[in-house]
Amino acid sequence: MSDGALLVEARGLTASYGSSRALRGLDASVPAGEVVAVLGENGSGKSTLLKVLARVLSASGGTVLFAGRPLASMARRETAQRVAYVPQSVDLVFPIRSLDLVLQGRAPYAKGFSAEGPEDLRLAEEAMRACDVAHLAERDASALSGGERRRVFLARALAQRAECWLLDEPTAGLDPRHRLEFLETLRRVHAERRTTVLLVTHELAAASDLATRVLLLKDGRAIAEGPTDEVLTPEALRRAFGVAFARSSQLAAVGASLSEPPVSG
Amino acid sequence: MLAALALLAAAVALGFAVGGVPLSLRELISGDGEAGRTARLIASLRLPRVLLASLVGGCLALAGAALQALLKNPLADPFLLGTSGGAAVGAAAAALAGASPLVSPAAAFVGAAGASVGIAALARRGGRLDLQRLLLAGLIANAFFSALLLGAFSVASGEAARSMLFWMMGSLSDATPMRVLALCPYAAVGLVVLAASASRLNLFVVGEENAAALGVDTERTKRIVFLSASLLTGAAVAFAGVIGFVGLLVPHAVRAVTGNDQRTLLPVSAVAGAALLVAADAVARSVVAPVELPIGAITAAIGAPLFAWLLLRTP
Repeated sequence: MSDGALLVEARGLTASYGSSRALRGLDASVPAGEVVAVLGENGSGKSTLLKVLARVLSASGGTVLFAGRPLASMARRETAQRVAYVPQSVDLVFPIRSLDLVLQGRAPYAKGFSAEGPEDLRLAEEAMRACDVAHLAERDASALSGGERRRVFLARALAQRAECWLLDEPTAGLDPRHRLEFLETLRRVHAERRTTVLLVTHELAAASDLATRVLLLKDGRAIAEGPTDEVLTPEALRRAFGVAFARSSQLAAVGASLSEPPVSG
Repeated sequence: MLAALALLAAAVALGFAVGGVPLSLRELISGDGEAGRTARLIASLRLPRVLLASLVGGCLALAGAALQALLKNPLADPFLLGTSGGAAVGAAAAALAGASPLVSPAAAFVGAAGASVGIAALARRGGRLDLQRLLLAGLIANAFFSALLLGAFSVASGEAARSMLFWMMGSLSDATPMRVLALCPYAAVGLVVLAASASRLNLFVVGEENAAALGVDTERTKRIVFLSASLLTGAAVAFAGVIGFVGLLVPHAVRAVTGNDQRTLLPVSAVAGAALLVAADAVARSVVAPVELPIGAITAAIGAPLFAWLLLRTP
């Protein structure tokens, strides 16, 4: 899909967990090839949006068009070939070799009962090299550090050869070095592949640095979307997070995030 | 797989050799005259029992392996999930009602199916089968079935009580060629369906969301795997009573050797489960021969320490 055309288009999207509604009529447009930072306070519906797009959770209303086609009518396998989802955290109960975890990214392409072929293995190993985790291939993924495991999952998304990545807080809980390494890897891989990325994050600095567009959520709705510089204004952030940032330059400051005391006013 | 098959062969040889009357395998194979005939006669009597033990062991281990992957829980087991208990309650109800022992397997099967459907219904939430709730519902059902069984046992007398004991403790003493044949189709269907689900179960091992995100129709897979595991369990309990620990232990032991790829784990578990139960039955028949120990006690006695050892050696 060429850059600029809409890859994802959500209209009036609603979704719930039991009786609590997480999305309440969300509209969003994601042009192909962009890195879109999905921002908003806890419970604003960011993760839910990713889950609906990954078809891990069914929407209760509204529509999602993916490359112009209704997502709900697309075969699940095809969705998995085109959309890769990296959840915020995965609790690995059983040991699993990192390479096998990355090879799971090839599952949407498996034919019948056949095991992974040499081509799948090649793509998995190439992806692991690209994400600097080739040396971890034989290691048990459940015993890796948080940063290593995130990169293994990113490698899996890469091996999946999807045109759209859904990343849910990929840098949460990482120390500064691993955080930077992860963002660097993401930046490099995106530059090579022109993959469309939806990046849920609380790191405003990373968002303003890496993202070409921003989608701002509040209470299950989009309250702003557009190019990063236009959307990341103090006024929009005040509406989204309920706190004020004195100057937008604060955003650019290294490590600027809500964990630092904001200047109220 | 070859190691598991060798293990099964050794267990089968053991199963033929030991019992109330010891049997020399050499006489069985090459013996002439009187001794050879006697040996073959004893072997033909033991054959259905060895076959039944391997089928039951295979069914239970396979069901356990599939449920552990599906539920992403190393403690999942057909026994813990209440299916076995439902089967035993069905058989006990038939015994209490004075039904012929021939009806018992059918009653056990109905009990297992009823329990599975009931547990699945309890675990439904918003039209989805919730895997966390499935485990809890199974535990609750299991406790409830135990209570029913104990209650029924205390009011039963004579033949009915003996029959109930059989269902509660498990036994292979009623092995007949007919029973072996009757169990075959269930085992075959279960094995084929679960083996066909193995690559999807590999994705469930990381989590249900993981499987969904990688293109699996998770609701369909959950139903198919849970029902297949219940079918295998119900069939096993129907012909051999409740035998614990096989479904829990065997997949663990196999996983420690082969790794956790379900495409290998499921078939190897089935073979290893067969080997374990044939060996356990040989022990049950021979330790205090001619008295037979309940096989469920043997599997638990072997299983609990082995499980503890596996627990200690995993970091």
